[in-house]
Amino acid sequence: MMAVNFEHFSYAYPNSGVVLDDITLDIPVGSFTVITGPSGAGKTSLALAITGVVPHYFGGRQGGAVQIGGITSAQSSMGELAEQVGTVLADYESQLVALTVAEEVAFGLETSGFNRSQIAERVSQALMLVGLAGLEEREVAGLSGGQKQRLAIAAVLVTAPDILVLDEPASALDPEGAAGIYELLHTLNCQGKTVVVVEHQLARVLPYASQVVVLQAGSLQFAGDLRQTLAFMWQQPELRLGVPPMWAIKLTLEEQTGLSLGDWKTEEQAATELNKLTRTCAEGVAKSA
Amino acid sequence: MPETLLNIQKLVFAYKNAGQTLAEVDFAVNTGEFVALVGRNGSGKTTLTRLAMALIKPASGTIYFQGKNTATMTPADMACGIGYVFQNPDRQIFRDTVAKEVAYGPQQLGFAPEAVNETVAWALSMTGLTELAGSFPRLLSRGQKQKVAIASAIAMQPKMLILDEPTSGQDPWDAQNLMELLTNLNQQGITIILVTHDMEIIAKYATRVAVLDRGHKVFDGTPSELFAGSHDIAAWGLLPPTAVALGQQLAGVNAQNETELVQQIMSIIKGRTGDYA
Repeated sequence: MMAVNFEHFSYAYPNSGVVLDDITLDIPVGSFTVITGPSGAGKTSLALAITGVVPHYFGGRQGGAVQIGGITSAQSSMGELAEQVGTVLADYESQLVALTVAEEVAFGLETSGFNRSQIAERVSQALMLVGLAGLEEREVAGLSGGQKQRLAIAAVLVTAPDILVLDEPASALDPEGAAGIYELLHTLNCQGKTVVVVEHQLARVLPYASQVVVLQAGSLQFAGDLRQTLAFMWQQPELRLGVPPMWAIKLTLEEQTGLSLGDWKTEEQAATELNKLTRTCAEGVAKSA
Repeated sequence: MPETLLNIQKLVFAYKNAGQTLAEVDFAVNTGEFVALVGRNGSGKTTLTRLAMALIKPASGTIYFQGKNTATMTPADMACGIGYVFQNPDRQIFRDTVAKEVAYGPQQLGFAPEAVNETVAWALSMTGLTELAGSFPRLLSRGQKQKVAIASAIAMQPKMLILDEPTSGQDPWDAQNLMELLTNLNQQGITIILVTHDMEIIAKYATRVAVLDRGHKVFDGTPSELFAGSHDIAAWGLLPPTAVALGQQLAGVNAQNETELVQQIMSIIKGRTGDYA
């Protein structure tokens, strides 16, 4: 079953050229889909097309179709789509509107007619999930960049959408904070949410990604699992830089040895396999000496 | 002997209603250095650079720039010596063409029109923006806006550039491009302080790293010393670059980067069999 389905989808903003050109792509329910590619590739536009912001907010010209949970985007409203899709923008500060942390998270529920006790319960659950419990009364303006990014996620989670779309969700975070956000998204993914992220640093998503989509200059270059996609990127000189260091090491070693190494999702997996490889070799030297 | 350009002594700073953000920090930067300033979100990195720019004033401690105490200097005074590039370039861009934006600083300094044109042309060419001189800055990509901010800073012909997380949110292609630009500027004599979370960038480009942890400077040395394994860098919220981390888990391997790691693994493999030559 597909959460999102792009069928020969093309799009141009008003007064711009085509930014997405003939995209056909399936995003399965429950997948962890990562959209990547050089700047200007159309990644954000593709993410916005899942939320309905493209084309409903921006206008412009569209060809083909996008279906979100069976609804055709062009024939529905942003409000209808928002029940299914929660969005965290790259400029996450622009979507924060309230004075305090609790008010920010409650906003989406208040406008949907939930009662007070439901709101209080859901708000505290959402803040707990993103690690902001205890900061309910803090002013949003006084939070750090990382805390604001978590708050934007909480404000989306609280409305319980099936699909989460996040554009660069860890861009302002230190390594621990970035790892924390992705562990959170992984947990939500394991609970059945479909997660779609735009991410430049693929190292962050290696443990979690089930599908990686590569866009370049508005075209879909490749979509596949981690192994297939990184192997594809490695073969393209202009995309090679996007391959995370751990896989650059793996793919170089494979080229030089002719061996086929495992699909390293974590540093531990890489270290275990490399240890096995080098230790066998070192023992071989000892025996032959 | 290289000149000490920026000399920060026993610097203390606290925001209103908060604990000490910086606790007696000493930090000196010599001309020509390429220093990375790292640490968790909230460790005091940005505060330190804002103090250096005189955007905020310390509770106590002294900051010298080129030997002069900056206590009575304003951000405008400092801007001639230090160019500051904010994390979000949108915050510092306000004119309607790239060339006008870059010209703003030199014009405020009272440069003659020819001198303004000359420095703007130089700054645009250094940053690869010459062709975008007439463009509306707000419609540029983030990477391009970042370059406009850098061009505006170097048009003032500063001795030092401070950049606050310039590669965050940039794709690897734009980030590499930016780091090459900074290396180039550094080679032309501009001292660089780079606030960053990206350990791969530190390992590749910085000549020195200072680590802040909860307002204290806990490390000041080279990237290879930082990542050598003798410091508990995880306690400071840092991770070693992938190649260094993998190398540390393999017997007989000590690599600073991916190329070294692959070479060392290959030589262990070849040592046994010679199969993979």
